[in-house]
Amino acid sequence: MIYIIDHKDSFTHNVVHQFERFDDVACDNYNEINEDKLNKSKVIVFSPGPGAPKDYPISSNIYKKFKGKKKIIGICLGFQQILHCEKGKIIEQKKIYHGYQSKIKVTSANSLFKKNRKFNVGRYHSLKLKEPFVAKNFEITMRCVISNVAMAIENNKENVYGFQFHPESFLTENGNLLIKKILSA
Amino acid sequence: MIKNNYLEDLNNSKKPFIIYKSNKGFDLYTDFSKKIILSHSNVEKFINESTRLKSKKKETDLFIGFFGYEILNNLIGINIKGQKGIKFPKGIFYKPETKLKLPNKLNYKNSEIIKSNKLFNININRASYKIIFDKFKKKIKSGETYQIKICTKYRNKTKINALDFFCRLVKSNMAPEAFLIKDKDYSIISCSPENLINKKNNLITTKPIAGTLKKNKKLDKIKALAFFKKNIKENKEHNMIVDMERSDLSKICKAGSVKILKKKTIEEYKDLYHYVSLIGGMLKKNISSLDIIKAMMPGGSVIGCPKISTLNLLNTQEKESRNIYTGSFGYIKSNGDMRFNIIIRSILNYKNNSEISVASGVVIDSNAKNEFNENYIKAKALMDLYK
Repeated sequence: MIYIIDHKDSFTHNVVHQFERFDDVACDNYNEINEDKLNKSKVIVFSPGPGAPKDYPISSNIYKKFKGKKKIIGICLGFQQILHCEKGKIIEQKKIYHGYQSKIKVTSANSLFKKNRKFNVGRYHSLKLKEPFVAKNFEITMRCVISNVAMAIENNKENVYGFQFHPESFLTENGNLLIKKILSA
Repeated sequence: MIKNNYLEDLNNSKKPFIIYKSNKGFDLYTDFSKKIILSHSNVEKFINESTRLKSKKKETDLFIGFFGYEILNNLIGINIKGQKGIKFPKGIFYKPETKLKLPNKLNYKNSEIIKSNKLFNININRASYKIIFDKFKKKIKSGETYQIKICTKYRNKTKINALDFFCRLVKSNMAPEAFLIKDKDYSIISCSPENLINKKNNLITTKPIAGTLKKNKKLDKIKALAFFKKNIKENKEHNMIVDMERSDLSKICKAGSVKILKKKTIEEYKDLYHYVSLIGGMLKKNISSLDIIKAMMPGGSVIGCPKISTLNLLNTQEKESRNIYTGSFGYIKSNGDMRFNIIIRSILNYKNNSEISVASGVVIDSNAKNEFNENYIKAKALMDLYK
């Protein structure tokens, strides 16, 4: 079972439907966590949401508790939540991407995805990861072709994955395939 | 056949009635056997029981009326505190006993001419609008909202003939969700273009509008489409609304069934073009009318995104009640089918006070002056009715 933690976002149920293609899904608000479902789940997903990672200490605690024990996937705010817990700095960016479609590129040979592949994705974020960012076992594996902003992280050792863009958006090409690959990794 | 002077007689009789745009013309509902005034405490009960009418399979086995903005907030657990307002009911529904079909060309001549040259007052002037606008821009930068709609109100005090207003409005601005409610102490005159819920059996659709372009002689539908396709700001706003509506539908629809049925098309109106998408899905089993209303309302395209945090920002900023504005008008049939619009482009006349609310979106690259002016353009078609 996949447990999706909703940060009261208006895109979360697109995420739910996307993951339901592959497994049973349960979804609760971050402040109404069902411990039983959380413990039973094989995968934890941190949803997109408004604000910044520091606004969601409950989600940070869940991440720290289950890192390395379950597969963890973060989307948009969820991606930033993981980085925040890994001592990354999340900052405002000059150009704001709300409802943008842009081209990104796989930049690492260690990624689950083929290096140098380019594809279009949907973006909804005003914040970004401040670089340089270094954390054990983590690698930035995708970047925006134009701005070079970090778009995905992978930690294949402890099974932690994150996307700054929205795989569930209608603006993202092959979003389902992306999730399928992460889930079967 | 309806008598020639039917509308005139009905209007003179002081009997409450409702007119709602249908496919071919209008439907008129009257002879109300029940009138339910909604409050925080009875709204859920009303929605649950509206589908438990003893159905005799009549065309009048339905409740028709509106949910105001505040009660839709209450339904999803958001309470609004300390707003001023005209103390207008939060929602009213009627059970009709008569339904009649009317043609698109409404047969009504106004015998008493009421003219008003009174100016409209605006509740937020250009300078205060700019202050709110800049505040929200900061909230966008910090990620608390991605898009937010600031509401401004135009008001005046005049006695109006609501039926006459409605007939003149649809003559010049026919809209697929136009409606009129005329009751003893209030009326609502609307040329809403936006359908929020259309539910028949297990199929549900929503048709968000995001993007407005004023017509001019050089434009046609194809050029309007090209304008929207090229305009990054309009596209971003529209994309956001499409993803948000997909997500709202996904709360109540079967996994994998939510589809964009018409992506980014142009609808043509008398003075403007709209950028429109149609999204639909198949309802999950055991979804109630209440589940549907809570998932879809208040309609996202007139609030902003994400819905909950944006509503909270709006409700602390807006000092006056939105009343009907950005609520929903429509009906729930006893078999559970429903049709609801989003209440925009509307006049609320309550105890001879008229209120016209308008809003336009703040995204990161909007400009306060343009948005303030767009609000005025949207209100103008309605204010012209008073001349």
